[in-house]
Amino acid sequence: MHLKARKQAAAVIPTASMADIVFLLIIFFVLTFNVEVDKTRVSLPRSVLRTEVPKKAAIVSITEVGQMRVSDGESSSTAVSSTEDVLSFATGVIAGNPEKEFVLKADATVPYKTVDRVIDVLKQARVPVVYLLSDQETVDTAGGN
Amino acid sequence: MKINRRIISDAIPTSSMADITFLLIIFFMVTSTFAATRGLDFSLPKEDKNPPMIEKEESVLITIYRGGGLEIDGKSIQPEQILDYLKPKLERNPNKPVIIRPDPEAAYGDMVKIYDLLRRGKQNGLEVRNISIPTQREIDQFWY
Repeated sequence: MHLKARKQAAAVIPTASMADIVFLLIIFFVLTFNVEVDKTRVSLPRSVLRTEVPKKAAIVSITEVGQMRVSDGESSSTAVSSTEDVLSFATGVIAGNPEKEFVLKADATVPYKTVDRVIDVLKQARVPVVYLLSDQETVDTAGGN
Repeated sequence: MKINRRIISDAIPTSSMADITFLLIIFFMVTSTFAATRGLDFSLPKEDKNPPMIEKEESVLITIYRGGGLEIDGKSIQPEQILDYLKPKLERNPNKPVIIRPDPEAAYGDMVKIYDLLRRGKQNGLEVRNISIPTQREIDQFWY
């Protein structure tokens, strides 16, 4: 009996579209790329109302245990030991740009007295506006308001 | 005479493109972060040597205690009742100052929650125009 030769399927993975997919991914990452100047890990308070923080705003971060770090929004954050250091930092930043916005990135569990001292020195440094960084709170968990 | 011409390929070599783009993807994946970039804006008042004196009766005082307990003008209250309490007062005087005074040991998150609640009053038809969070130094200096 004469058997007809079987047609052999090519053992090739089609990769022609790979470059297109990879380029799409690159475009996504380039657009969403954001250099994080302050890498302090904090558990942010939650709020329903949230407005976009201006890019390059100066940052003051306070961890759960009260450790503070400051950044002018351009360079990486540096640790500071007291609110006097925050005052001299903020005064310097405001001297360079009186309209510079500040971001307060504080842990939700920090005792208010620590935040109070920081807000007080920012007021003394004549900072015009502070953004209280927060995570999104859903309306249902906010007590139905 | 036989001339043996070399044929030059007119195709662009793209075999290494995938490698390069994958390297770029890995770089962006490792270095990029989804940073939290939203929050509540809080305008700080200008330092004033002689701030306008406000009679206690003319303002509403919200006290936040450690553990999240709330008092409004000395009476215990739940967060969802605050706007109902403020409504008649703000209808009479829309510029009535509402002062938030957290206990030094109260959690910062509780202060943000109340500030957020007051700011959201506008969505519920009750705009709280004059929210003030005095610092301890201001309280020591000007509170009476």
